[in-house]
Amino acid sequence: MSGEEGWFDRFVNGLPETRVFQRLASWVLVPYWSWRTPVRPLPGGPHPSIQPGDNLQCMMNLIMPLKEKSPVGRAKAALAIAQNKDAIYAGLDNVGTVHFARFVIVGDNICMFSVYDGDFTNYIRDFIATIGSVFNAVVELVEGGEAVIPCEHNVEAFIQWVHERDLYQVPDTATDLLRDQEALNGDKAASGNDDLRLLPRKVVLQLRANANVSLGSGYRAYPGFSAAQVRNQLGIGW
Amino acid sequence: MGDSSVARRLVDAIIANLPEPAPGQRPVHTIGVGADGYFMASDVARNYCIAEHFKGQRIRVSVRFSNGQGGPKQHDGWSDVRGMATRFHLQDGAAADLIATTLAEFFARNVEDFFEFTKVARQQPVQRESPWRKILDMLQLKEPARDPYPKQTTSDGAGILNYANRRRFAQLAVFEAGVIGAPVSYARATYHAIHTFMVEDPHGVRRPVRFSWQPVAGVRTTDPAATPVDKYLRHELEERLRRWPARFMLMMTIGEAGDALDDPTKPWPARRVRVVMGTLTLTNLAKDQVADGERISFNPWRLVRGIEPSGDPILHARRCAYEVSREMRDGCPFRWS
Repeated sequence: MSGEEGWFDRFVNGLPETRVFQRLASWVLVPYWSWRTPVRPLPGGPHPSIQPGDNLQCMMNLIMPLKEKSPVGRAKAALAIAQNKDAIYAGLDNVGTVHFARFVIVGDNICMFSVYDGDFTNYIRDFIATIGSVFNAVVELVEGGEAVIPCEHNVEAFIQWVHERDLYQVPDTATDLLRDQEALNGDKAASGNDDLRLLPRKVVLQLRANANVSLGSGYRAYPGFSAAQVRNQLGIGW
Repeated sequence: MGDSSVARRLVDAIIANLPEPAPGQRPVHTIGVGADGYFMASDVARNYCIAEHFKGQRIRVSVRFSNGQGGPKQHDGWSDVRGMATRFHLQDGAAADLIATTLAEFFARNVEDFFEFTKVARQQPVQRESPWRKILDMLQLKEPARDPYPKQTTSDGAGILNYANRRRFAQLAVFEAGVIGAPVSYARATYHAIHTFMVEDPHGVRRPVRFSWQPVAGVRTTDPAATPVDKYLRHELEERLRRWPARFMLMMTIGEAGDALDDPTKPWPARRVRVVMGTLTLTNLAKDQVADGERISFNPWRLVRGIEPSGDPILHARRCAYEVSREMRDGCPFRWS
């Protein structure tokens, strides 16, 4: 970068991009610092908030490992969704708080991503009431799912099961990740003796504890409006 | 009106920490360029704010883009906050100013914090960190200190980091400033007016809002690994405007009860309602750069009916501080609307 930069400076500056250092980091440094400075998994779903705007267009991001990890297992999951198309639409129209919902197969996981208005537990509760059979058909194919189906008979356990699989939503601002970690550890101090240069380690260790995350709270074209408001403004009723 | 002695101390504290003073010039955002253009409010802007420039007629504007650093040295390619001060020229010689920077949050909640910052964040001699020290940092999965730029001899970086490490409210602004980079063009950055203002709609409803300018050309920064170029932003803007106008959308985010109305260190959640308030079109560099690039004086309190300041203590302090700074550099006198 500067004229005084020697070959050793250049070598060291490029070190993090070398395969040797990356392997050292993966195999030694990350496990070591994870042991020295343990990081607990952060809970999934939206951050609790009483503010109206924070309770609109909330994200749910479920990644559920299939029991049968093969093309046949994936096909069964695809079939479970295809066979329930009418039930899903009926549920969407009756619940009235969902902006969109998607089922995606990634590797040997079935994923459900949705954007909904209101409280998470009410969202799941409403869907159990309207399309519990679809949940049962999907969850039956998922590791650990047999413990909570039929969901109509295990409402609270099912809600908790879903919550535990909902991805941690990394905050939109980098330093709010630190605040989440502090809150999880009961540290509510306004000031500490922090070291911002340790942010990379904290991010790495958190992503070790929460291997799958949602990056940010989502990017919205029309934030602050519910599905019902949008449909009402468009004159298509609900 | 605020305490002018505090304002004087604020300006003096900034000047005392400059790597190289620039008498007769702005103490910060010293290097800048003026541009001319016009603003057209969107169809919905008048539903949210009764201010004259949101009624829909074409409004002449003067804009000053700037590098955040104080002092006479120009380092366009250094990672730095950039400024975009906009004057809306209204009827009968009245005007409204909107002052924004590429940093979305501030690092001080109030004047006391700011004085603390100026005490801690002093310019210090800077040199390249030893490679062995960097290796040690890497083994700790820690960000090594950034190499100084060519010919850079002092930096306030270590002091700023020290300030933020002990004040969590400042960490977001300091972190974002540290990774902000250099824009490829003044017209390719997003600028945020970090304070909350209260706007009044035609029904008398008052809403807390924050404004930002979003570039129609998109956001892009230079390659941080490349050797930075000291002078290119003014020429780039001139060439860009010679070919085609540069546009910015003025976005207004509406706050909710519970959002930080008086604290510029706290961002609002991304889930707040955003309203398109209009489009700014820049057509050419100002022909008289002395008048429209240097002597022109902005003030975040230069507002018109329909827009009021919030209770943000930093916003209140800026009113007098900008006036003191203007007087010290013999800037154009301030006319209240």
